[in-house]
This record gives sequence, C-alpha cells and structure tokens, in this order.
Amino acid sequence: MWVAALLLVTLLGTGLVFLSPDRYAGKLAAAISAVPALGSIYMYWVYLTQYGGTGNALLSPADIAFGQQLPWITLGELEVSYYVGLDGISMPLLALTTVLTTLAIVSAWTPIDERQSQFYGLMLFMEVSLIGVFSALDFFLWFVFWEGVLIPMYLLIGIWGGPRRKYAAIKFFVYTNVASLIMFAGLFALVFSTDLTSLSLPAMAEAFRTASGLPTIAGMNLMTISFIMMFFGFAVKVPVFPLHTWLPDAHVEAPTPVSVMLAGVLLKMGTYALLRFNFTMLADTARQLAVPLAIIGVVSVIYGAMLALAQRDLKRIVAYSSISSMGYVILGLVAFTPYGMGGATFQMIAHGLISGLMFMCVGVIYNTTHTRMVGDMSGLADRMPWTVGIFVAAAFGYMGLPLMAGFAGEYFIFQGSFNAPTLGGAAPVLTSLAMFGIVIVAGYLLWAMQRTLFGAFSLETDYEVSPAAFHDVAPLAVLLLLVIALGVAPDLSFAMIQDSISPVLEIGGGA
Amino acid sequence: MAAFTYAPAIVLLPFVSFLVALFAGDRMPKGGALAGITATGGSLLLSIWVALTVAGGDVHNEILYQWTTSVETLQLNFGLLLDPLSALMLLIVCLISFLVHIFSLGYMNDEGETGLPRYYAGLGLFTASMLGFVVANNLLMAFMFFELVGLCSYLLIGFWFRDDGPPSAAKKAFLVTRFGDYFFLIGVVGIFATFGTGLFAPITQGGEVVAESFPMLAEHAIVDGETAGIAMLETVGMGPQQWFTVLGLLVLGGVVGKSAQFPLHTWLPDAMEGPTPVSALIHAATMVAAGVYLVARMYGFYALSPTALAVIALIGGFTALFAATMGLVKQEIKQVLAYSTISQYGYMMLALGSGGYIAAVFHLTTHAVFKALLFLGAGSVIIAMHHNENMWDMGGLKDRMPVTYWTFLAGSLALAGIVPFAGFWSKDEVLYEALIHGFGTEGGLGTAYLIAYAMGLLAVFFTGFYTFRMVYLTFHGDARSDTARDPEPVRWNVKGPLTVLGILATTIGFINMAPVAKLTGAEIDFLHKWLNGPENGGWPAALNTGLHHYEGLLHDVSHVVKGYPLGETPTLLASAGVSLGLALAGVLVARTLYAGADPVEHTDKLGGLKTLLMHNYYQDEYQVWLATGVTYPLARVMNKFDQGVVDGVVNGISSVSLFGGSRIRRIQSGVVSNYATLLTLGLVLLLAAFGIMGGWF
Amino acid sequence: MIPAETYLLLSAAIFCIGLFGILTRRNALIFLMSVELMLNAANINLVAFSLQHGNLTGQVFSLFTMALAAAEVAIGIGIILVLYRNFTDVDVTKATTMRW
Repeated sequence: MWVAALLLVTLLGTGLVFLSPDRYAGKLAAAISAVPALGSIYMYWVYLTQYGGTGNALLSPADIAFGQQLPWITLGELEVSYYVGLDGISMPLLALTTVLTTLAIVSAWTPIDERQSQFYGLMLFMEVSLIGVFSALDFFLWFVFWEGVLIPMYLLIGIWGGPRRKYAAIKFFVYTNVASLIMFAGLFALVFSTDLTSLSLPAMAEAFRTASGLPTIAGMNLMTISFIMMFFGFAVKVPVFPLHTWLPDAHVEAPTPVSVMLAGVLLKMGTYALLRFNFTMLADTARQLAVPLAIIGVVSVIYGAMLALAQRDLKRIVAYSSISSMGYVILGLVAFTPYGMGGATFQMIAHGLISGLMFMCVGVIYNTTHTRMVGDMSGLADRMPWTVGIFVAAAFGYMGLPLMAGFAGEYFIFQGSFNAPTLGGAAPVLTSLAMFGIVIVAGYLLWAMQRTLFGAFSLETDYEVSPAAFHDVAPLAVLLLLVIALGVAPDLSFAMIQDSISPVLEIGGGA
Repeated sequence: MAAFTYAPAIVLLPFVSFLVALFAGDRMPKGGALAGITATGGSLLLSIWVALTVAGGDVHNEILYQWTTSVETLQLNFGLLLDPLSALMLLIVCLISFLVHIFSLGYMNDEGETGLPRYYAGLGLFTASMLGFVVANNLLMAFMFFELVGLCSYLLIGFWFRDDGPPSAAKKAFLVTRFGDYFFLIGVVGIFATFGTGLFAPITQGGEVVAESFPMLAEHAIVDGETAGIAMLETVGMGPQQWFTVLGLLVLGGVVGKSAQFPLHTWLPDAMEGPTPVSALIHAATMVAAGVYLVARMYGFYALSPTALAVIALIGGFTALFAATMGLVKQEIKQVLAYSTISQYGYMMLALGSGGYIAAVFHLTTHAVFKALLFLGAGSVIIAMHHNENMWDMGGLKDRMPVTYWTFLAGSLALAGIVPFAGFWSKDEVLYEALIHGFGTEGGLGTAYLIAYAMGLLAVFFTGFYTFRMVYLTFHGDARSDTARDPEPVRWNVKGPLTVLGILATTIGFINMAPVAKLTGAEIDFLHKWLNGPENGGWPAALNTGLHHYEGLLHDVSHVVKGYPLGETPTLLASAGVSLGLALAGVLVARTLYAGADPVEHTDKLGGLKTLLMHNYYQDEYQVWLATGVTYPLARVMNKFDQGVVDGVVNGISSVSLFGGSRIRRIQSGVVSNYATLLTLGLVLLLAAFGIMGGWF
Repeated sequence: MIPAETYLLLSAAIFCIGLFGILTRRNALIFLMSVELMLNAANINLVAFSLQHGNLTGQVFSLFTMALAAAEVAIGIGIILVLYRNFTDVDVTKATTMRW
C-alpha cells in the first residue's frame, strides 16, 4: 500500500502541477514532492527499525517489505501482475530518489524561468517512473517504468537544455532505447527457453537459476549470450566504457536540476538493474565472466578520470568523473563478496548524493556567473563564501575524503575486491589499478578548484556575483549533511544492504 | 581508568572548537581563537592526565565505535590505543597546538588578518584529526585521520586564497601526499584482506586475547609458520615474509608522502606559503611527524622485514643528506627551515630503518619542540620584518628583538646538534644506532645501514652550516634594510610560546641521555624506560608494542645485530665525537663566512652547483613535467580519442542510418503506379520464394 | 459440373487484366475500374470455392466484398474529384507531392 500511495500521490501531483500557473509551479512541485520524500523517509525508518534481517526481494519473496501484488493481465501463458515491494537494496535507492527529486526541484527555482509548470510536471512524472523502477517486482511493470523514465528525460533535456540540446536529447533517447531493446531481446530469449508462468522477478530468478538444457548458439550457452546482451543493455545506462558517450553530452546540455537527477538517480538504474538481473538472476554466469567484467570496470575508472582531466567545462568534468565512479560499482559487483557487492550498492547511494551535490554546486555558480568554463572565472571564494565552502567539501567528498560517504563506498569496494575469489590472482592487481582513480580524481578537482574558486576575483562574463540565495544553498547543505552522515555511520544503509546482499552471495558458487 | 574514560574528549574538544569557530567565529572576540585555545588547553590537560596514568603502568586498547557491523568476517572499527608511544605523541601534539594557537593571536589577530574564523576552524579540525590519528588503534582509522590531516593541511596552506601562490601550493601538497596515500590505501586494504584485522595491538580481556593484532599475526606466520588462515598468500603466490614486505612498503608510500621523504618531498617547501604558525604546527611538528609515527606505531610489522628496514633506512639517510644540501643556498628564512625539516625527518626514518626505535621517537620529540620553536621564531621575525622573508634584507635583529634571538639561538643549537641542546642527544643516538647495527648486521642490510649512516653523518655538517648561516644572516651583522633597522615589536602572545619552547629545546634532550647513562651507569635514560616498560609482564606483554619485543624481532627475524668496531664505550664516544665535531665544523664555517658586519653571498662561488641547488635538483620541474607534460597531454589525447573514435563510432552509426534513410526514402516517389509496381513485384517475389521453399516447382 | 480450375483461370485472367490496367494506365478513373476488376476476380474465387466445398461462407464473403467495393468506389471517386480540383487533371503520375 505504501508504494502505491507514493506512486499515486506523485502521479496526481504531476497532473496538478501541469495545470498550475507558472508562478506557483515551482513551490507547488516542491511541496508535492516533499510528500513522497517524507513518506519514503518514514518507510526507511520503519524498515531500519522493524525489518532487520530482511532478505533479498528476488530470492526470498516472503521477506519483501511493503509488498503488494494484484493480478493485472495475462499474456498467453504468462501472468503479469502489479507487483511492488522493497528490500535492503531498493529501499535506500527509493529514498535517494525521492529526496534528491525534492532538492533538485528546489534548486530549479532560480535557473528555470520559462514553461515552469511543464518543467516541474515532467520532473514529478520522472519521479513516478523512478519510484516504479526501484519498487516494481514484476518485469512487465518494471519495464514500463524503466522506459517511462526516458520520456520526461528526453523532453527535459530537449526543451530546457543548452545550445545543442536537440542533439543531446536524441542521442540520449536513441542510445538508451537501443540498449533497452537488446536487453529485452536477451532477457526474453531466456524467458521463452524456460517454462515460466509468471513475469514476476522472483519467479524469473528462480527459473533462471534452475534452468537446464538451454540451447547453445555458436558454441556459447544461451545463458551466456543473454547475460552479455543484458549487460550491454544495462551498461549503457551506467555507463561504462565504451558505451558512455551519451552521458557528457546529456549532462552538458541538460539544465542543472536535470543533471542532478541524471547523475544522481538515472545512472543508478543501470547498476541496480545489473545487480537485480545479471548478478542475482544469472549469478553463475556472472561469476564465470568476472574477470572481463572487472577489467571493463577498471578501464572505466581510469578512462573516465583521465578524460575528466582534459575537460574545461565544470559539468563535463563531473560527468566524466561519474563514469569513473560508476566503474568502481562494476568492480564491486563482480567481486561477489560482502564488502564488494554491498560496497557497490552503497557506492550507488553515495555517488548519487555526492554527484548530485557537485552538479548543484556547479549550477549555483552557473546561475550567478553564467559560465561553467574553468579559466573564465577565478576567485569566486571571495564573493560566494558559503557556496564555495560547500563546493570544496563536496569536491573532497568526491575525492573520497574519509568520514564522507564516497570514501566508505570506495573503501568497501576495494576491501571486497582485493581478495575476491571470483577474480583469483588478478584481484589485487585490478583493485590496485582501480584505486589509482583516487589520485586522478584529486588531480582534476583540485586543479579546477584552484583555477575557479581561488586566486584574485575575475570573471569573463558581465554579471554581478553575489552570495547565492538561501533556497539555492539550502539543498546543498542538506545533501552535504547526508553525505557526512552516511560517511560517519555507513551502517545506516550498509546494514540493510548487507542483509539483502548476503542471499545473493550464497547462491551459485557459495559465499 | 578514569583518564581513559575521558580520553575521547582529547580528540573531540578541538573538533568542537572547529564547529564553534566555523559557525560562530565571526560573532566571537578574537575570531574563534579563544575556543581553540580553550579546547587545546583542555586536551593538553587531559593528555597529561593520560600520560600520568600510562606512567603508572596502565594502558588502554578498546573499540569505541563500530563503523560497520554487518559483515561478520571483517568489522571496521574506531578505537583508542593509549600506550606510552601514543601518550607521548598526544602530549607533543597538544602542547605544540596549544602554543601555536596562542602565537596565532600575535601572528594573525594582531596583524589584522581577515577570515580568522576559517583559520581557527582549520586549526581546530587539524588538531582533532591529528589527535584522532595518534590514538587510532587500527590501520583504517589511522588512514582516515591521516587523510583528514591532509585536508586540513590543504585548507590552511591555501588560507590566503586570494593570492596565486597559496592555492597552488595547497593543491600540490594534497596531490603529492595523495600520491603517497594511494600506496598507503592499497597497503591498508591489503593488510585487512590478509589478516582480517588492522589492529596495531591485541585487545585483551582479563588476560585473554580477544582480538589479535596484525603485527602479531604476521609474526606468527613468519616465526611459527602459522599461515593456514591467510588466504591472501595463495592469491598472490608469495611467501609470508615476501608478501608482508610488499604490504609494508605499500604503507610506506603514505609515510614517504606525509613525512616529505624523497621523492615525494617537493610539497613541503611550497607549503611554506601558508601562515607561519601553520607551518610550525603542521609542516614541522605534527602532520609531517604522522608518517614517522605510523612506522613507529606498526614497528612490530616492519621489524619482520629486512628489505623494508633497508629501504626505510636508505630513504631516510638519503633524504637527510639531500635536503640538507638544498638548505645551503636558500634565501628565505622559512625555506631553510623547510629543507631542514625534510632532512630531520630523514634522520628519523634512518633511525627506524636501522633498528633505532627509541632514537627515532626521541628525535621526533626533540625535533617537534625545536622545529616548532624555530618556525615560531621565524614567524616573530616575519612580523617584525612586515612579512619580508628574505634573509638578505634582515641582519642585526639580535639587539632589537632579544627574546626572539635567544630562543631562536637555542632552537638553532638544538637543530645543529650542539651539546647539550636537545638535538644533539637525539641525533647522536640516531647515528650511533645506525653505526652499530651497520657493523653488526651481516649482508646487504648491514651495508645499507652503513651507507645510510655515512649520508646521515655528512648531513650533520651541512645542518650545522645552514642553520648558522641562517642565524648569522638574520640576527647578526648590520641591518640591511629599513624594516630591519626599525622592526615591528612583538607582544607577549609571541614571546610567551617562544620562551616555553626555548626552555624545552634546551632541556628536553635530558629525557634520554643514553650516552651519559651508559658511561656513568646512572639510570637517566627515561624515554628508554618509558617505551620499554617493565621487562616482564605489564603492558608490553599485553600490547606487544614495547621496545623489548621489537628488539627481539629485529634480532631473531631480520637478524639486525649490534657490532662495535672499537669496543662498546670507545665506539659510543667516537660516534658522538665525530657527529659533534662535524656539527661544530659546520657552525664554524658558517661563522667564518657570514658572521661579518656585512656578509656577502659566498654560495655564488659554487657556480653551476648553486643553480642546481637553488632549483632543488630539478625535482619540482620533473614532477610538474610529469603532471603537465605527460599526464595532461595524455588526457588530451585520450579526449581526442574519445571524441573522435568512441563517440565517432556512435555518431558514425547514426550518420550511416541517416544516409541510408536518405537514399532509401527515394523509393517514396509519390507516383502511385510505381507503388503498384513495387507491390506487384513484391508479391511475385514472395510467391516465388514460397514456391521454391515449398517445392512447388 | 464445370471444374473449379476453369473458374480459377477466369479469376486469374480478370485479376491480371486489372493489374495490367493499374500498372500501365495513368487515368485515375481507369485505375479505379482496374481495382474493381481485381476485387471481382477475388469474388469469383470465393464463390467458386464456395461451390466446390458446398459451404456458404464464401458467398457471404463475396457479398461483403461487394458492399466494401461500393464504399470504396464512393471514397475513390471523392478522392479523384479532390485530385482534379488540386491538379486540374486526373493523371495519377502528376500528383507526386506526397513523397520524401
């Protein structure tokens, strides 16, 4: 019931905001999005205090929290139902989504000044879809939400974006849609080769795990082929090298609040789906393919970081560093250890908060200076001390400063993958290589900060720079506090993640 | 023990002062300084209480806070380890920090600086982080506070962010130490993966070990062959000693970065862009000490690996000499001190590498005092000189600022190693340990010690020279500029800390007059007793962090043996005599060259060598080249590759689709007859295909 | 009884005549007539098979098709009228504005 209430309130809010006049749209949207945010925080609290030891939603359906299942349609022999519910993996992601949406909406008050009701309406519509993606437990329902995210995102980039918005929006849409198609084909190849009677995710997990006698195509087992196709489909969303090129374009062109959502939540859809489908349903195959997948992750880490080093646009820097950070998640997932997989999930939350924070900081600076280019401005610390203070804190968070969430996530992943049984002798080497990312990330962020924030004040554009408004800084402060809270007490999320990860580790090759 | 119950407050008090200064500093008198002074003062008192309790034979090793609890096989914790080593370090950090806060009243407040809340917040956070690092009972917690210390260093070096120099120096400091910390992090992860714990010392309850420490597990693996539980060895395919050496060297990366050892020393001279009290606190007495302290903290691990010991000794000896030569030609007073800092930490590393655990801790203690004194003295001079740091503009300050002169002189004598000032006793012990272990130890390790000893010994001469060149240029002779003729007076808040430190720099060497103790048989080697503990039982038996245990490991596992080429007492005397003689020679040469009323720059006679030294052996140049000449162009090339090839393929696919579409759409001619023709053709083809496949023909 | 093949041949012949008309003529009205021929070819088929199998469904279907053809002619002639108004001609190859 709780999840349905979240979906319904947000959906009704979407309609309401679409119809409201532009003047009130922003405030109204913030107020409406606060309802699911507070609701999910309450659910989080209930989960934290009452659902200790809840297992994985896909592997032990009896343990699903806030679950609800209603029959929906029948497709041939396949039963499709409205089936939602949460576990320790999706609960933090759901809370991340709702909280980040509210903050992104507040941060949009300053930069968005045309077609406001439509902008905020689309933001809320995206929230509906995202809540659905993280809570749906039926493939059909899940896929509807999964694709539903693309539509508002496409419009948000395409209408409110920068000069090359059409190119970026179409690239984003086509790229991710093609990926979805390949994923869909891969998954349904498996669905049709097993005797499934229901499209619910737990049923699929069960069927794929016990599937035997699958056909072999060109010397490869269908399981492996499907795994690769699904990995490809989800990896585009993450994104990993070399499927990442839509991301910098989309980030640069998207308005800041949309970038926040894109980096903060949309990228996590990819890793969430990887964890649910590839690494839970096809765990055995994932173990077999661990080394090549880990190499992809490590290459993403280093490649993304090196590219961030070459950028001048602050948003591009953060965009490329997102590729780098998400590479860690892949490395953690393939490790199949408590710290590896748990850390990867934790890193999704941590990176969601920190990259959202970074994008918001860049946005606040852009609102006043109207430029994002390193070199066009310097000495901003002189004019906007609190914003710059939070920027510096956020940047250090991104660099993995201890007692902030980023360090916890990265450390867990390193700890988990350093002696991962799936990677064998390559584990320490690959982990050490990935760790070098923390040096490069310090390089480009420190360089960018030195050039833009410090030194004598100067600005290429003709704008008066003054401290940002309270409602611009407040979301930053809230996010920073969350980042620090999770860094000091990672068990706020890590414990429930661990509860839901451990069943995944037990299947297949054992823990 | 009551003292241990309140021990967490030692760390938390400065942290509270950070919060107070940051959020309420601009509404407080003195911009938050009073909060900092109160907090560090409180920490100092608590540290003294802890030290007294430790002196009574009690130690403390306890987990305070569980960072992660959910993975049963490997829990990550925060905990307190209070033993003589950490109690001593707590005293040093609290004392210096307290004095630096007071000094800052004179250096920052009285000079009318803006942004004071930020400054005092930085100092508070730094003190808290450093203290957290000192009391850490496991490697991960140590690493975390190690990084936070780096952050504070960044914030404080870059305090004057409106200028160009400080932000750049801050960036460099963080980046270079981050490079070292990269290896440290691998080491931390590796140690946790190998041993399943990062504890420095075992946790005991009622005499039973409930959680074993990683140095002890390593010892069991090497000495007793208990490698069964260590899965990591199989993964990497190495023997225990080999793999532990790798781990030790990885952790050493962080040490080399933070303690500014070759080749990661380049950040420290640049860090002098920060306010001088910060230089005194961070870049001389405490943060830089963190690296050396870490080696001492996990000495039981390093003592198991002769290779790691040799590397530490050689890095230390080389850095001591290398940095001392660069200090010879510097013109700014703080630059001379910066290179002397690097050089002195080299000595500590030399001592640790060559089995002189006590000597290293001793030198760490004395150096903290006299180097803080010298930096604060330099700060006093800088106030007087209106922030001109060039020694060639000074001269004759002796009569105009006597308190600064006499205390600075005490610090200089200590740095140069002149008897009976603090530095003499500790430096002599460092060199003596290197010498006897070099003669006694067989094979490559002994040779390494002797080479390191030779470099350290040579550096003594240079130290004497550059120290007194600095003293003569600054305080003696005639004033060489108007500001030097009429320097700005300094107040009590500058003189007070200088006096305290001046007295300590003169006397602190007496805590461990090992040579005198050996010669006379008097039991006055207090530091030795402090770190050694009771011979049987007591805290060393519980924690295994006592000197006795380390010496056993050095002797049994790494085969570090004492040897006396001339017999015990003559060797002792000869070693002390040679190092004192060299130091005096350095002082005398400096006096000959620079003591006149109007000294000239004699170093010009060095010619090309001077250029080399002024450019610091082009160390900065090659590191900057690595960053801007290699990494950055590589990134640009990769960017081109990304835009051209990776994105090119994506755009290529879309171009092909678009091009194909634009060609194929021409079928759509608009002429109905053509459509009909196509339809017909399609039908015929379909029929033909079905026919052929259906076998109609 | 006349065998089914004869009807089928007739149907095929009529269909081909219609097809030939569509492919070669340009006048829209002739087009329409050719389409009618093709429809009727299909009708003959339906009726022939209906007779062959003794099943009335085919005849019902052909009635249905005739109704459909009537409707089609009504719309078709409407389109041709509009075509004539816009292009002052009923030559189908002239009206090529609906292309790429």
